[in-house]
Amino acid sequence: MADLLGANGTREDFRVVGKPNIPGLTSYALATGVAKFGADFVVPSMAFAKILRSPYAHARVLSIDASAALAITGVLDVVTWDDPIFKEISPNPIGGVAGDYLRNEAHHEGAEVGAVVIAESEGLCDEAISALKIEWEELPFIVDIQKGLDPEFPTIRGPEWDESGTYGPPMTTADGIAWMATHYPEDPRKQGNVGWSNKTEGDLDAGFAQADFTLEYDVNLHDVVSLLPNPQASVAWWTDNMYKTGKTLRIEGAVGRRSAIATMYGLPDDNVIQEGVFQGGKYCDWGLRMVQEITPLLARRVGRPVRCCNTREENFDMCVNERRAHIKLGVTRDGLITAVQDNSLLDHGAPSSSEMTVYDRDWNGYYTLKCENISQLYTVVDSNRGFMHTCGQFVPYSWDMITVGIYLIAEKLGKDPTDIARLNLHGPDSQRDDRAVPSFEAVLENGKEAMNWDWHPAGTKRLPDGRLHGASFRYQMCPRHAFLSYFTKLEYRGGVVHFPTQGPIAGWFGTECFTMIAAEELGLNFDDIVVDYDYRAEHTDEAGGSDGVTGHGWIVKECANILKRKILESAAKEAAPGTTRFGPMEFPKAPTPLTGYTADELDMADGKVFVKSDPSKFVPFSQASSETITADYGGNSPKSAWATQFGRKLDTMNTSWCEVAVDEDTGEVEILKYLVVADVGKVIRRTSLESQIDQVVFFSQGCQLMEEYVLDAETGVKLNGNMLDYRRPTTLDVPSVSKDILELRSGDGAYGASGIAHNLANSHLIITAIHNATGVWVDPPATPDKVLKALGKW
Amino acid sequence: MSDNQVRSTLKSASEQAAATIAAMPAKPKIIACPLCGRQFLTHTELTAHYAAEHPDSVAPVTATLNVNGKNCELIFEPFMTLKQVLQYHLGLIGAKEMCDRGACGSCTVIMDGRPALSCNILASECEGKIIETVEGIAVIPKWKPLIDRYCYWDAMQCGYCTPGFLVTAKALLDHNPNPTEHEIKEALSGNICICGTQPRHSQAILEAVLIMSGHAVHGYTASEVDNG
Repeated sequence: MADLLGANGTREDFRVVGKPNIPGLTSYALATGVAKFGADFVVPSMAFAKILRSPYAHARVLSIDASAALAITGVLDVVTWDDPIFKEISPNPIGGVAGDYLRNEAHHEGAEVGAVVIAESEGLCDEAISALKIEWEELPFIVDIQKGLDPEFPTIRGPEWDESGTYGPPMTTADGIAWMATHYPEDPRKQGNVGWSNKTEGDLDAGFAQADFTLEYDVNLHDVVSLLPNPQASVAWWTDNMYKTGKTLRIEGAVGRRSAIATMYGLPDDNVIQEGVFQGGKYCDWGLRMVQEITPLLARRVGRPVRCCNTREENFDMCVNERRAHIKLGVTRDGLITAVQDNSLLDHGAPSSSEMTVYDRDWNGYYTLKCENISQLYTVVDSNRGFMHTCGQFVPYSWDMITVGIYLIAEKLGKDPTDIARLNLHGPDSQRDDRAVPSFEAVLENGKEAMNWDWHPAGTKRLPDGRLHGASFRYQMCPRHAFLSYFTKLEYRGGVVHFPTQGPIAGWFGTECFTMIAAEELGLNFDDIVVDYDYRAEHTDEAGGSDGVTGHGWIVKECANILKRKILESAAKEAAPGTTRFGPMEFPKAPTPLTGYTADELDMADGKVFVKSDPSKFVPFSQASSETITADYGGNSPKSAWATQFGRKLDTMNTSWCEVAVDEDTGEVEILKYLVVADVGKVIRRTSLESQIDQVVFFSQGCQLMEEYVLDAETGVKLNGNMLDYRRPTTLDVPSVSKDILELRSGDGAYGASGIAHNLANSHLIITAIHNATGVWVDPPATPDKVLKALGKW
Repeated sequence: MSDNQVRSTLKSASEQAAATIAAMPAKPKIIACPLCGRQFLTHTELTAHYAAEHPDSVAPVTATLNVNGKNCELIFEPFMTLKQVLQYHLGLIGAKEMCDRGACGSCTVIMDGRPALSCNILASECEGKIIETVEGIAVIPKWKPLIDRYCYWDAMQCGYCTPGFLVTAKALLDHNPNPTEHEIKEALSGNICICGTQPRHSQAILEAVLIMSGHAVHGYTASEVDNG
């Protein structure tokens, strides 16, 4: 991989990169309410649509009598699943379900099924849906995944829902299916409701034979809801366009998915217009909802714009599925782990739920250990609990299996967990590398000092107010999306550098980071680069939070250097002695300060192009060339093999620390201190990093202390699918998070940066601190009633 | 400015908010039946049409709402919430729908000086009330430091809930110009940010208070903020 100017690891002087508090390019529009999200679009003659939702956990629609609904004035149409129009569109290439677009079988309560109504208002849509006479066939359902293991239980999912073979369609794409077949050919075939996803490395028996003792423990990870902030919605309409072949589709709300929509409707990308850029929060939930895909179909049906918008209850999808892990560790008397056996029972969710549960066996914290004897036997059960869109949050949330193990070893041996972690962590380059990891040592020492770390055995420390004190720590690697390929284009036009991007704007300030990098390489200020948001641009921000931004940032850096070289060549050419033409006349060119110098003898900084040997000779950057100069660059950041060595390569690390107080009388848990020490390699935009740390702590606190997706065992319906009953932390709940950001420059992104966000999210740091305080384990969420119950007081 | 011309400054965002307010119709441009689309000259005619053609449906009502200092005579169905009327009849999209039931604060407006949840209030109940939305706040120079500090501190990520926070913060500062950090957290505790920006709001508001009271913060003064 090229490093065109050798600037990656060597640049020391940064004038733009690393600067804090540069407001986001769209922040003022967002704060003042003028930014338009999908649900905000209102267009003339707009009709409204609603999709029928299943009131049952698993049911089939046998028939629908829509006559009463159609008789309501203002109801434009009722389209049922057997209508041919649902065969007119292809599955969404990103996470879509193969087969007919709308079916008559629902696999969880709230699933779209059977019919869509179109009317003059949302209220009329609701009225029409109530007026449908529906004959339902209730079907067996699984909301308790233990129950799904019963071989006698009826199979809940026919073969038409399981296209890929082993245990469900991996994101239903051809690529996904091929990927699974290549990587996991050894998995047993699915039987009934149960599939398997197994992976063993090393020799488990030998590992346990080396051990002096074994430790067995359970780690339970519960469902967490993705809860995208903005109601997912779209508005679509069709127009004739004399300049293009066929109809043109305008769709707003399916932000960043123009190509996917074009594929679904069999259109060239050029025939799809999507100007909105505000995507709303995504949190690695990349799936489109049906309301964002179906409006073009309905708009074609009624010949006018159609809007379709989910309510909050209709948007209560999962981002983490339930997992019950039983772990057995082989451990030497010093605390070295010699064998890891993880037998997990996982919820596979409704058909076509994300396969992140499966990928997790490759992307696992176990591989940060010296131990090479690792067995992961995952039993994956189909269920009717809910749908999990393509979502990356499952992965970091399940990495705490080893956090808990390290704590338990420390507790058994009476040692500090940080020492156990250091003993077990492999070296920087491989599992057989015995060297200390410099990044780990740095984030560990800073954390211990900042926490005034003085670990104590469980249940042995009280605070002056009588509450129990507990503390915990976890380490992890800083992951990144080095496996993704990125593309960037920059253009020097009219003396100004333009950066065309389609966005979308989802909250991680990626474009701002890329603009800072481009400005840094071109010797410009942040504001000097004109960012052109254009849905037709090839560049997209979608890169995966800070993880992707750093890898993608490398590509931007390379692109900026290509542009720089081209500008210098053009500047030298235009300044060279010669003649210039004006009509038929030819004149000698006027000399400039750059005249007589080659591109190699020129450089740019501080908004100028100057002669290296005599910087007093310069021209303003805006006058460097009269040409329009384009540069593009695509590919991976270097060391992209990092992704395939997940966990086996430890270049940038982080530690998280938590102190809690537990009130034995009320069961209340207060977070006294929460510290994150992260080696980010190199800070690109400090405010972004700090904000992403706040975000993962918010997620982690929510899932460990509050959030729980409750399903009724008798009916399989959700009991708290709203924001009143499904609690998330508020300004009064969230702790003040201390942050220590280190820059050891050893990541593989631009300037040695690496991502942080994904791996700081955790499911058991606070839970482990509660155990350290009380001596009992409480499964998350540790609500006061569960803490009291664990303490035997309720 | 087109919808996707989004690289914004405080000045451009304020101007866009001002343009949105200016475009709010003082009277309905068209009086059309929401059920069949037939057009009428007066609300009385529309009501008569309902009685004749849609006797089982409730006829639209008329009300004059005072929004961002402007009286707007509106005709809307009586079950419409204030949030819906702001969006569909007045083109104001700053109040956002997130939770559907008054649990998240994203749809907050200020009504007669108090924060109110526009998704939970029928528009027909708002006649005679003074209603302020985030667009109205954005055009008042006094509040520019508040908006500016929100952007300076990234007190937003995806930005969907941000206007709701800002409106609540303005309502707090109207009553308590010098709040403590705890008072800020308490005031904002009904606003949910799913991106987890909660710790950042207090800092933004506390700095805005300093700038608004004539202090310089990180070299910024009220006049510099005002100049964009």
